[in-house]
Amino acid sequence: MERETPLDKKKEMKNIIALLMEHKFRFIFSVIFVIISSVLTVIAPVLIGDAVTIIFDGANNILHGTGTMDFASLANILLTVSVIYVVSFLFSYLQKYFIIKISSDIAFTLRQRMISKILSLPMSEVDKNKRGDILSRLTNDIDNLTSGITESLMEMMTIVITLVMSLIVMLMINVWMTLLIVVLIPIAFVLIGLMVKFSQKYFKSQLKMKGQLNSKIEESITVHDAMRSFNYQDISMDDFRKNNARLFEDEWKANFFASLIHPLIQIMNYIGYIAIAVFGGLFVIQGVFPVGRIVTFMQYAENFTNPLEELASVMSVVMTALSSSARISEFLEYDDEQNPSSKQIFKLNDEITFENVNFSYVPGEKIIDDFSLTVKKGQKIAIVGKTGAGKSTLVKLLMKFYPVDSGKIMIDGVNINEYDNHSYRSMVGMVLQDSWLFSDTIENNIRYGNLDATENEIVEASIQARTDNFIKQLPEGYDSYLNEDTDNISQGQKQLLTIARTVLSKKEILILDEATSNVDTRTEKLISDAMNNLMDSSTCFIIAHRLSTITNADKIIVLENGKIIEQGTHDELLLKKGYYYNTLNQK
Amino acid sequence: MMKLAIPLRSKIGHIILVFVGLVIEAYGLLMLPQYTGKIINEGIQYGDMNAIYSIASMMILMIGISAVGQIMCSYFSAKLSTSYARDLREMAYENVLRFSSNELNSISRASIITRITNDINQIETILLLGLTVVVFAPILGIGSIIKAFEIKTDLTWIIVIAFILIMILIFVIGARVLPKFNTLQEYMDRINQNAREILIGMPVIKAFVRQDFENEKFEKINRQYLDLNLNIYRNLLPMQPLLIVILNLMVVAIVYFGSYEVSGGLIMTGNLVSFIQYSTQIVVSFAMVGVFMIALPRIVVSGRRINEILEIEPEIKDGELLQINDNPTIEFKNVSYAYPQSEIESVKNINLKLESGKTIGIVGGTGSGKSTLLNLIPRLHDATSGEILIDGQNIKDFKLDSLRDKISLTPQKTLLMEGTVKSNMIMGKHDATDSEIEDALRKAHVDFVESPDDAVSQGGSNFSGGQKQRLSIARSLMKHHDFYLFDDSFSALDMNTEKIIMDNIMSDLKASSGVIVSQRISTIADADEILVMDKGEIIDRGNHDELYESCETYREIFDSQSDVVGGGL
Repeated sequence: MERETPLDKKKEMKNIIALLMEHKFRFIFSVIFVIISSVLTVIAPVLIGDAVTIIFDGANNILHGTGTMDFASLANILLTVSVIYVVSFLFSYLQKYFIIKISSDIAFTLRQRMISKILSLPMSEVDKNKRGDILSRLTNDIDNLTSGITESLMEMMTIVITLVMSLIVMLMINVWMTLLIVVLIPIAFVLIGLMVKFSQKYFKSQLKMKGQLNSKIEESITVHDAMRSFNYQDISMDDFRKNNARLFEDEWKANFFASLIHPLIQIMNYIGYIAIAVFGGLFVIQGVFPVGRIVTFMQYAENFTNPLEELASVMSVVMTALSSSARISEFLEYDDEQNPSSKQIFKLNDEITFENVNFSYVPGEKIIDDFSLTVKKGQKIAIVGKTGAGKSTLVKLLMKFYPVDSGKIMIDGVNINEYDNHSYRSMVGMVLQDSWLFSDTIENNIRYGNLDATENEIVEASIQARTDNFIKQLPEGYDSYLNEDTDNISQGQKQLLTIARTVLSKKEILILDEATSNVDTRTEKLISDAMNNLMDSSTCFIIAHRLSTITNADKIIVLENGKIIEQGTHDELLLKKGYYYNTLNQK
Repeated sequence: MMKLAIPLRSKIGHIILVFVGLVIEAYGLLMLPQYTGKIINEGIQYGDMNAIYSIASMMILMIGISAVGQIMCSYFSAKLSTSYARDLREMAYENVLRFSSNELNSISRASIITRITNDINQIETILLLGLTVVVFAPILGIGSIIKAFEIKTDLTWIIVIAFILIMILIFVIGARVLPKFNTLQEYMDRINQNAREILIGMPVIKAFVRQDFENEKFEKINRQYLDLNLNIYRNLLPMQPLLIVILNLMVVAIVYFGSYEVSGGLIMTGNLVSFIQYSTQIVVSFAMVGVFMIALPRIVVSGRRINEILEIEPEIKDGELLQINDNPTIEFKNVSYAYPQSEIESVKNINLKLESGKTIGIVGGTGSGKSTLLNLIPRLHDATSGEILIDGQNIKDFKLDSLRDKISLTPQKTLLMEGTVKSNMIMGKHDATDSEIEDALRKAHVDFVESPDDAVSQGGSNFSGGQKQRLSIARSLMKHHDFYLFDDSFSALDMNTEKIIMDNIMSDLKASSGVIVSQRISTIADADEILVMDKGEIIDRGNHDELYESCETYREIFDSQSDVVGGGL
């Protein structure tokens, strides 16, 4: 989802500070260390300047025969400087050490929070968000945010402290020379601002183009086979080329204008440098200050203009970090799936009741319309009807994946909303049309149904679901690794594995939504025993296309537009000579 | 890294111009410290203001020169790096389009996407930086060495020591850190993969109440990444502060030992000041190169990842012949196919003839090789043994475009693209008119679309399974082909709809040849020939009545389906 709301910088800064405050002590220490090490770095040029003065004076003395060089105080100064450098090194190392720990921890925590959030989102929210977008929040945005914290926050602090400290020391040495350098700052800011403004336009459109190009690539790879068999590659390539060329135009301009900042600042820097050389020379000749001050000022001038340049780049990192932070917190602020109750449930004693249930995904488009039904414990209910009649939606409501708009679903007279979601769902098993398996071994995929299962129980479940045979034929048997691109087991075999998984889990209530749609009819017949076993021990809701399964059901309900239009046993429905009878006869 | 370098060949002009810009820039910068020394030695020492002014104007000139060089270099390096990225993207994408699904899977689809996007971006960013750092730093460094030696002093040993120390530092840290970056990247991939799985598998996770399990699993990978990341950065940490401290101590040493040279009259104070500036430049330059060397493995990793894509020579090679007769015959002769890294042949010893006006039906269990067989015809895969002939000529001899133009394949998975119904139909016929689109939609019984401009979302997720199949069928009917291959393309449709569509297809395509793979016997019962497949082999063939009489497997399949009610209920 695109972010349309403008960036609330204050709010995001607060968020970032809140994150930092979770590591309060480390953070406070690293701030102290930054201050110490930058203050020390600012003092050093004064001392180096003093040393040069001593040498210059000494040289003059020797030249004019008026004395010698003061080696003792020179050694003293240089020793002090060395100590300062080493101490400053230690503090800057410690500061970095802490800040890396903080930022890595923050990244870790944020990733963990995002996963927990994903895991506790209601299904409707999962459906709404694009996968790629969530993933990019989880990786890119967290990266942006943490590098923003480590690199930029501390750098900004160093820069500000260095600038302020340098300014103070410079003013103490000479006001006029200080003015000379300070005057350059607004000019530099204007120039940087100008370049940023120029390049920003191209940066933005470049980001957009990149996003478009990425989704193009992703799609081509997904529909790759269709593309090839329709000879669509050339057209796709032309399209790609066009977008790619536009990206290039924006990109090089963005980079060019951005990279102009550096030479511009450098020119400013060197103009300052020359000014210092010239005016410093004048002051020395007039005896206002000693020659070493020129060296000192030259270093400060660099202290001034270099940080300005860094500030420009740091600012863009900070801006990115802020917008990433906004994307992360936006996601973390999504409402969790509602689970107000902690009341546990373990058994279905008597009956499941649907009472005037209404539901729609999009307001106004009713999918389930005033649905009422009572199911006794142990009954098998077959749900039939055309595609889009609401069959799958009905069982999803029973899973509590979506809350009903009105009406009630009750277990033994108690609304299912009054039970803890997890406890309730632990009682309900489900095999779906889309077989979803992990990137893991076959054994672990079956074990998902019951984490405590022994190896024997797994093989037992696998035999029942008729997967044992083909698994044993695989070179690595139960240790074979499955992944998204697995080619060597078919869609149907994957579905059988999900059945094995459910066999292992043994639930009170069972939902089979076209559980064997990808399995060929012969295999389907073979596993029907397993399915029957599975069904015998539970209360079942079955969406199926096999007549024998349907006729064996204790009750068949025929859905149309979310409403029950007929219900009864197979024989009763045939006698009715309604929709059910007619559809069967057409065949 | 050969393929990776190809786009650079056409950019030699740019590279040279960047280089020239850098040399000009370095020249200007190198002259400055010398003039600073002169100001002290000739101006300040003697109180000569005129000397100061004339030296200052020379300095301004040098800055001007260096600015020209810099702007030149900015311009050409921006163009160079971005156009290089552009060319890489194009090359990679072009090659990927020619991949077979085996090749896509060998790298993994997700990884291909990150390679073409993130990895190329990485290279681009580093190239942009690298040109200015890696090329510029040595120029400036070597220039500074020359300049430093021009000042006749014995202080150069200090530079040498600082230089050696820095090289050792970079080498030691580099050696500890470099090998770990690759692993870090792999951990990141795993974090990504794990999160992606969780997103896809939400319904299952909720149903099995495995939130805590998934959370812990993710935490394990997340922690692994955290630990390695910390380890790498802790090793890298001392780098920058140590560089600075070495540099500063070097300056201190130069001032200290230089004071003796000045007092001995060997050099003047101004020379010492310029010497300090040159030595700082030398060390900073080489340190920059060194630091960059540490960033280098990331480009090397990225470079290798992209190169891998570029180096793959697609196994499906284009043929030469353009012209294929109208309504040709396709013949399979002892064709077998095994997926790479699989010992078992997915299809074995297939002999088969596809003729104009005839329809072939294929039935068989899951994993019996039906889809693989169909995919061999438009050469989505190439047979591992045996040959497929079109009018007696091997299909590999023909241009892929010509061959595929003859064939319409409707795959099992409905591969719809984000866009509109129209944009998807255009895939089937690139210059289709609106009336042609409406015609195809009508034939495929697409009665749920209001206008061809209706939106299709990612993967067609705004349509139900049956609707997606009908759209996919419509796309295959956009244009006349000599062969129509349907790979279980009707599975989500109810019998009525299927019959309507089949009738439309059959009456329209009398002269064409058809192959229909189906789980349902009713779909293929009317075919001229029916093949029964099991474990990759054709175990029996004949028409419906013959097979029902003679083939036990066929009878079993048929009987097992007699009570299937289909999508109507």
